[in-house]
Amino acid sequence: MRTNILGVYDDEHDVMHAVDKLQEGGIVVADVFSPFPLHGIWDKLKQTTYLPYATFAYGLVGGIATFALLYWTSVINYPLKFGGKPLNTLSFIIIMFVLTILIGTVFTALTFFIRQKLYPGKEVEMPDVRTVDDKFVIVIEKPEDIDDVELRKIKSLLTETGAVEINESDVEYEA
Amino acid sequence: MYNTRVRGVLIKGDKSYSQVSRDVLRPMDAPMPKWWYVTAFIAISAMIWGVWGFYNTITTGIGTWGLNNNVAWGWAIINFVWWIGIGHAGTAFSIFLLILRQKWRTSINRAAEAMTIFAVMAAGLFPLIHMGRIWDGFFIFPYWNTRGPLWDNFNSPLFWDVVAISTYFTASFVFWYIGMIPDFATIRETTVSKVKKKIYGAMSFGWLGNARSWLRFETAALLLGGLAAPLVVSVHSIVSMDFAVSVIPGWHTTIFPPYFVIGAIFSGFGMVLTLMIVLRKLYKFNDYVTDGHLDAIARILTFISLIMGSAYLIELFTAWYSGNEYELFTFMKNRVTGEYTFAYWSMLICNAIIPQFFWFKKIRKNITLVFIISIFINIGMWFERYVIVVTSLSRDFIPATWATYSPTWTELAVFSGTIGLFVMGVIAFFRWIPTIAISEVKSVLKETTTLKSFTDED
Repeated sequence: MRTNILGVYDDEHDVMHAVDKLQEGGIVVADVFSPFPLHGIWDKLKQTTYLPYATFAYGLVGGIATFALLYWTSVINYPLKFGGKPLNTLSFIIIMFVLTILIGTVFTALTFFIRQKLYPGKEVEMPDVRTVDDKFVIVIEKPEDIDDVELRKIKSLLTETGAVEINESDVEYEA
Repeated sequence: MYNTRVRGVLIKGDKSYSQVSRDVLRPMDAPMPKWWYVTAFIAISAMIWGVWGFYNTITTGIGTWGLNNNVAWGWAIINFVWWIGIGHAGTAFSIFLLILRQKWRTSINRAAEAMTIFAVMAAGLFPLIHMGRIWDGFFIFPYWNTRGPLWDNFNSPLFWDVVAISTYFTASFVFWYIGMIPDFATIRETTVSKVKKKIYGAMSFGWLGNARSWLRFETAALLLGGLAAPLVVSVHSIVSMDFAVSVIPGWHTTIFPPYFVIGAIFSGFGMVLTLMIVLRKLYKFNDYVTDGHLDAIARILTFISLIMGSAYLIELFTAWYSGNEYELFTFMKNRVTGEYTFAYWSMLICNAIIPQFFWFKKIRKNITLVFIISIFINIGMWFERYVIVVTSLSRDFIPATWATYSPTWTELAVFSGTIGLFVMGVIAFFRWIPTIAISEVKSVLKETTTLKSFTDED
């Protein structure tokens, strides 16, 4: 069983500062829970996301696929003149523009849900439920063979940086 | 060097984070208030009358409406465009203000987006029943059929409309829902009711709120917002093309797309103002939707109202400058003067003149007056669509075919039904969904009193 040490904070600036201090002290910060996004925490934890590239790809494929559909239906499969206008017209742009956005939106949302493993009715247990309300929690993994010196160092660093509580939790969650 | 408060306090009352959660969630746990039942009763009655209108239209046909050979588009299109316009506020608020980094939007965007969803739902009903044979509605999709296969006319503005509106609805809904997930998680972990825990737990999709989930959440929100921002411009441009690509005098003008987009944002912001005043009154959200918020919306409205006024003048100028007698007739003899004078001047006064009162700080501070002016904007924007649709159609090129138009009870019923649907949707939202984006408000809580320093070089 994996155990985590939880440093509970009251203030967003304290928690950002604490992450810096812990990392300076050579301690690996596994995760940070917060009631709202803490901008800049991701750089500290070296987390990145490739979602924008995915969105770009969806938009590109969506735009091309829409043009292919319009061209194939209007020019190849059943060419039908409307009001003497050319079959392959510039006004395809309008449908292409809108459907590129639609395809981009739907697939970006789906990718977000799938990558984050979010789905309706999913049940989760949180290490500290107060993080959806007003607490910020720093999660540090505690190996079973941790020695006392290391443990004391972690705890003192947490206290020094303004942790209001230090708890331990066995709750396992997917980061 | 001097200091200036860039924008006053965003959230008043020096609140703590948990106080924000409690304040926003309080109305959801409170016993059902009396106003809710009264409003629901009126809204449902309107909806029932609307269902009668729908039934009448579908079983008997479009003949139950006051349309004729000339005025083939009546209230249905007017109301459709009106609702779509109102539906522009959500995206305009969340996305334009997100991109412009206007942090005051956080208290309002959730409600504005909800309004968008219900307004677009109400709008979508009109083209649906205007088709006449609603059961053949699936013809609009480009599917492999046995008639050729005969595909859609992809150059028809009516088809563009279908694509634009359904995309707009989908994009707004996805953006709205993803934004609510963290708040549903807050309800899941803080509620004492087992039923609520179950329902909001399911709706929260197992949200945790750790660093990585926030990273992806923020990125997704920005991407979806960025994707939806062009829609604000494109949807109403496409709606305007329903008119502008025709050859009808008064419609066949290049000013239509920007004029419609601005009109949409104008009516949307007007409706947001109406609703936020009601919401803050009912739930005592004065600390969140401060006078500063209402003041900001009123100022935006003043500016947009000036653009509207310019657009009306430019239309008149272009009609004169074009030297086209049909254009000139439509604008001068059939709008400014003539049978539809009342509608034209109502539009002009409500949209271009009355909002100019917002120049006065005293009026912007008087919430009752602000509320009344916001209602005038809603009415004025309805008249604008009435003027565009009816005046141009009823008097076309040959005087022998001129016809007048007045709505029937069926059309009235359908319109009131959509108002009922909208009101019902809004009060359901007031009751069962956190009306203010809790996590977003928390993120700006500490930044409320930013002082910005300027030097003389700035």
